[in-house]
Amino acid sequence: MSHTFNTPRYGFLIDASKCIDCRTCMVSCSVENNVSMETTRIWIKETGVTGTFPDLSRYTVPYHCMHCVDPSCVSACTVGALQRTEDGIVKYDNDICIGCRYCMYACPFEVPNYEWDQQLPLVVKCDMCFSRLEEGQQPACAQTCPTGAIQFGKYEDMLALAHRMIEENPGKYVDHIYGEEENGGTATLYISPVPFEELGFPIAGTTSPAYSNRLVTEGTPLVAGAMLVGLSGAYLTIKNEKEEAEEERRLAEQTPVAAGEEDSHAS
Amino acid sequence: MLRKLFHELSTLPKYIYVFAAITAFGLSIGIYRMYAGLGVTTNLSKAFPWGIWISFDLATVALSGGAFTLAALVYVLHFESLHSAVRPTVLAGLLGYSSVLVILLFDLGRWDRFYNVFLHPNFSSALLEVSWCIAAYSSILFYELSPVLLEKSRWRRFLPTIKKYTIPIVIAGVTLSTMHQSSLGTMFVIMSPRLHPLWYSMILPIFFLVSSLAAGISLVIAGATVSYWLFGRSLKIRILAKLGWFLPWILSFYVVLKFGELLIAGELDMLFSSGHYSVLFWAELIIGFFIPIAWFSFKRVRNSRILSMFGAFMIMGGVVLNRFDVTWFGMNPVDGETYSPHWMEVAILVGVVAGLITIYSLVAHYFPVYEETELYREPANTAPRLQEAPASGD
Ligand code: SF4
Ligand code: SF4
Repeated sequence: MSHTFNTPRYGFLIDASKCIDCRTCMVSCSVENNVSMETTRIWIKETGVTGTFPDLSRYTVPYHCMHCVDPSCVSACTVGALQRTEDGIVKYDNDICIGCRYCMYACPFEVPNYEWDQQLPLVVKCDMCFSRLEEGQQPACAQTCPTGAIQFGKYEDMLALAHRMIEENPGKYVDHIYGEEENGGTATLYISPVPFEELGFPIAGTTSPAYSNRLVTEGTPLVAGAMLVGLSGAYLTIKNEKEEAEEERRLAEQTPVAAGEEDSHAS
Repeated sequence: MLRKLFHELSTLPKYIYVFAAITAFGLSIGIYRMYAGLGVTTNLSKAFPWGIWISFDLATVALSGGAFTLAALVYVLHFESLHSAVRPTVLAGLLGYSSVLVILLFDLGRWDRFYNVFLHPNFSSALLEVSWCIAAYSSILFYELSPVLLEKSRWRRFLPTIKKYTIPIVIAGVTLSTMHQSSLGTMFVIMSPRLHPLWYSMILPIFFLVSSLAAGISLVIAGATVSYWLFGRSLKIRILAKLGWFLPWILSFYVVLKFGELLIAGELDMLFSSGHYSVLFWAELIIGFFIPIAWFSFKRVRNSRILSMFGAFMIMGGVVLNRFDVTWFGMNPVDGETYSPHWMEVAILVGVVAGLITIYSLVAHYFPVYEETELYREPANTAPRLQEAPASGD
């Protein structure tokens, strides 16, 4: 199987320097998607209070699914409930999911959440408000953010904007666009005045673990086929050898053997 | 009719009732869990979406590896002298896998649509491979065991047909086991960001496969010795010695591979610098690998039931610890959050394990499981009836 990963059509650009921790995005997301505030699809990461009085600082940033170009969750999901669309949106089909929670462990960004308080729970994950996109609207979080910390648009535009912001405001941002390379590229991009580790972002490699996963899982049927042949071969070879040894022993003993007896021996 | 049933029940060894009661308790908690959801019955969280159930599943599958190791040795590689160990091992394996399936059902958030595993397969998912192989392999184990159940029944006439297809079925079973023993390791290949580098490896599938061989053989050795004490029936010491002979080789292979992998990945420095992870890592290797390699190299050990059993338990302990490390202890916490199981999680597990013991005892009581094993001494007083069924078959 070959996998081609088209660049995403849409993208987010989230600017940690603009977030004021008002949590409007969380509320609008939970209203839009009808999920409880306990298990939201979007939440706030923060540095905690740093520095010494009176130079205290604290940075916050909204955080949700990165919509990876090569998503681990899609590769891991047992039943294919998670799929990446042509537009690069990683969608969740809540009619298929069996609740194995493998996606939660597989996602390198610790994104998928779970409705722990439900009797028959589902996974909670950002779907870019794709039904709003179809109506020509922005995702709820981007629409409602009062400071413009969450921007949404064409992926290329967002990436270009991110580069421009860093270039035009020297010293304001660290020179790193989180999501440009992380995990093989993601549709959600971040810029930040502080290093991303301090915001509690996972340090992700530049290739998706989904790649290593496919390498192994797609080789499995081959190994299985080879084993079937190998084991059958081993069985027949050893059986044959044993029979020959038996035959020789018999010949050496020079005793005539009845045909029927030989049959029962062979089994 | 009813009186007959009561009479029958009263002849069963008493310990079976204790285990049956524990099973009933555990299963009722399990039903409550299915009704109430995961939040109130478990301590699972976003940071630790898998808990003690998954660790148990992985450990059980590893220990049940005895069934396919033995099948490969006996049927494919023609170590016919080991044949008498097949039945008890296959029964233990079948029950092990069944318990894994039961626990998995409790574990699934949407247990009501578990069948989607078959309707909507995603072939790049290691968990899919695992669940398909386990489902298929459980049926194969049942097939392998069926002669034991049919031998004394009306359906005896199917025996020749069953025997005829045993070899191809066994070969398919060995392949399926190899696949899922390793796929269980593959499941963690995608978790490079979460699993500590001392355990994380691209070749986890090979580590899992090799250690399951050792754990499986150890289970056969330990099981034979325990049943020697309990039922006075066991395998010939010669057979145990032969099985024990394989162990240092398998374990050494694992150790060389393990350190080789750490060396190539440039992670040798972590062996001592990772705090409690290092301690767990060494505990696993020393208990489950280093000591047993030396231990089973002695002929005296291999020729002694009690000494072999001791070594076998060490290997099983090491491998079980390894599975717990990979699924639980070795997972880096997120935002400082850690996991320890809720009492209901533990109760369900204990219930299922008690169920295993109950069913094993019942099957061994009524069917000729130990038929080909040797009767060593008069049955112990605690389990008088357990002798009669198998003995009458001789
Ligand atoms: S961030 Fe996680 S949940 Fe979102 S697409 Fe990537 S792997 Fe999937
Ligand atoms: S919990 Fe649902 S979405 Fe996640 S891997 Fe399992 S089946 Fe797929």
